[in-house]
Amino acid sequence: MRIYLGLTENSAPHQTRIFGDFESQLIDLSLAYAGWMKRHRQLSAAAYELGSYYFPETIAAFLERGVEARIALDNVIAFARNTSTGDLRGPAGEKILYQTREIRLLPPLQNPEKSFVIGYSDRARTEVIPTPEIPTGFYKLPQTFVTTGAPIIWPKFSTEIDADACLAIVIGKEGRRIAPEKAWEHVGGVTLLIDITAREINKREGATTNNLLGKNFPSSTSLGPAVRLADSNDDLKDMAIDLSIEGATRQQFTIRECVFSVEQIIARWSILGIKPGDFFAIGASMARRGDRLQEPAPLRVGSTIRCSSSTIGELTHKVVAATGAQT
Amino acid sequence: MKLVTFTHQDKERIGAVDNDGRIIDMIRAYGLYLHDVEKKPGGEKLALALLGRDMCDFLRRGDESLDAARKTLDWARTKAAQGDRRLLVDPETVRLKAPVPRPGALISAGKNFSDHVAEMSSRKGPSFPVAFLKLPGTVIGPEDDIPYPPEVKNLDYEVELAVVIGKACVDVTQEESLDYVAGYSAFNDISARDVIRGENKTGIHLMGKSFPGFAPMGPYLVTADEVPDPQNLKLRLSVNGETRQDSNLSYMIFKIRDMIAYWSQMGLNAGDVLTTGTPRGVAAGRKPDQAPWWIKPGDVVEAEVEAIGCLRNRIVPER
Repeated sequence: MRIYLGLTENSAPHQTRIFGDFESQLIDLSLAYAGWMKRHRQLSAAAYELGSYYFPETIAAFLERGVEARIALDNVIAFARNTSTGDLRGPAGEKILYQTREIRLLPPLQNPEKSFVIGYSDRARTEVIPTPEIPTGFYKLPQTFVTTGAPIIWPKFSTEIDADACLAIVIGKEGRRIAPEKAWEHVGGVTLLIDITAREINKREGATTNNLLGKNFPSSTSLGPAVRLADSNDDLKDMAIDLSIEGATRQQFTIRECVFSVEQIIARWSILGIKPGDFFAIGASMARRGDRLQEPAPLRVGSTIRCSSSTIGELTHKVVAATGAQT
Repeated sequence: MKLVTFTHQDKERIGAVDNDGRIIDMIRAYGLYLHDVEKKPGGEKLALALLGRDMCDFLRRGDESLDAARKTLDWARTKAAQGDRRLLVDPETVRLKAPVPRPGALISAGKNFSDHVAEMSSRKGPSFPVAFLKLPGTVIGPEDDIPYPPEVKNLDYEVELAVVIGKACVDVTQEESLDYVAGYSAFNDISARDVIRGENKTGIHLMGKSFPGFAPMGPYLVTADEVPDPQNLKLRLSVNGETRQDSNLSYMIFKIRDMIAYWSQMGLNAGDVLTTGTPRGVAAGRKPDQAPWWIKPGDVVEAEVEAIGCLRNRIVPER
C-alpha cells in the first residue's frame, strides 16, 4: 500500500492531506474514512474527527498512530473497493477521488528530525570496497526537499553535480538503542530519494571531514513520490531501484547489495533515538556491483533524471540552470 | 531587546525581558494591548496571528513583529510602574528554554580560530569556511541539563556565539550580511571527541556532535540593534568555576559577515542559526594530557559571551 502527501487545488500550504492509491486515482483518506464511518458505523457523530485522527496532516503522524491506523487504512480501502465510484464521497458529499494531476504532491516526509543518507565520504572511497566499520552518514536538511516534477536547480557555486539513487528506510516506531534483531520492528515503510551532490564542493569539504554546501542546496534532495508501507522485510530487501539519465540506466541496486544492512544502520543511528518519519537512505553508491561500489551519475543542464522502483513509483526531474547563473 | 522562549503552565510561550529581568508573555501582553489600547475585540487571538506561535514564526514576520514586541514591552513597563502587574510573568513559575528552541538549520563553524586550529594539531586553517550541521532537535535551554551518553568517553565543550538569522536570504554580500541577523545568543557546541574520531575514518562527523542535548543555547536572543559590533566580543568558558576558554570573537578566521555571505549560497531562512566556531582551550587540545579536562557528570559548564549572556548547564548521567 502506498500513501502520498499532497494539497488539493484550493488549500493553503499547511492544509496537507494524506492520499492513498485507488484504481489509478488518489483517494483522500481522512474524508473517505469519515464517509465509511457515517455509512456503516454507529459513531457517525465522530466521523470527521476519527478520519483526521487516523489520517492526520502528515505521514509522520500517521505512522505514529501505529497498527490501528494501518487497520483503518485497510478498512477504508476495502470499503472503497466495495462501493460504486459514484457513491465514493465524504459524509456531506465531499469529493474524495482525484486524478493524480489534480493533487499537488509534496515530499512525503516534511520535517524529519533525522533525514540521513548513509555513505562514505569521497575521501574514504577507494578502488576496493572498504571493510565495513560503522555506517557513517550525513544529514540532508528538510529545506532542500522536493518531489517528483520539481526542477533540480543547478547551484551557481558548482560546475559538477551528480545524482545517487537511494532507498530511504522510513521509521514507523519510536525507539532508542535498538538491537539489530529488533530493527525491522521499527521500519514503517520506504520511499525513494535522489541525493544530488555538488561533487567538487563535496570533495573539498570532505577533506575537512565535513560536508554541507555540497549536499544541501535548494532541490538537492528529491523524496517520494509515495511512502510504500512495509508489509514484509524480504519484500523491501528485494526491491530493485533504478536511476536513468536521458532514458539510459545509470544505477541499479537492491539494499541487499549495500555494504551495511538495515539492521546495522538502525542499531547504530538509533543510539541518538529515532522517531516515526525519520529516515535513513541507502544509496547505489553504497551498493556493491561486482567488486566495486557503484558511482553517482553525472548531470548536465537539461538532463532528465528518473528514479524508479516498481512498487514505490517514480521520481522524474529536469535539471535547469539557476536564474542568473553564468554557465 | 532581549527575547526569550519559556514554558509557563506547561505551555511554550515567547516573551521579552526588561532591564530588571522581568519577563512579559508576548502574546498575552500584546493581546491585552490590542484589546485595551487599540480597542480590538480579538485580543490574544489576534496577537497570536500577528506575532506567531513560536520564535521562528515570530522572526519570519520580520520588523513588524519586532516593533510590536518593543511597543508591548514599553507598555507593560508603564503599566507595571502604575501598579498593574497583570502583564508580568512570575519568574518562579517560568522555565527558560533556548530562545530559538527549534532552529530550521543549525550550522556550526569548525576550525575557525587559528589558536584552536593549532591546538587541534591541524596543519593550517582552511581556505574556505568549514561548517557542519548539528541536529536542530539537540538544542536545549539555559535551565536544562546535558545528558552524558553512556557510549561517550571523551566529552568536550566549545563556547561560541549563535547568530540567529531573521530574514530569508540567498547569495548576500559581506556588506549587507548583518542586515539579515535577528540577534545573538550564547552557545555551547558539546562534542563527543571519541565518537567523532570513529566517524571521521570513513565519513564525516554527525553523531559525535548531535546526541540529545548537545546544543545548549541561551539564555536570551539579544536583538541585533543592541549589538553594534558583534565581531568584537569576549568569549569565556569555565568548568566548575575554572576558566578554560578566554578569547575574543575578533580572532575568528572567517568573520560573521563572511560566514553569512558564504552559507547564504545554500539559502538561509528566518530561524536558522549559525555558530561561530570556538577558540583554544577545549579539552581535546590540552597538552600533554587531555584526560583532566574531559567533562563528566556533575560538572557545571558556563559559556559566556560579553553583552549577550551566560549559559550555565550541568552535566548529568543519562536517565
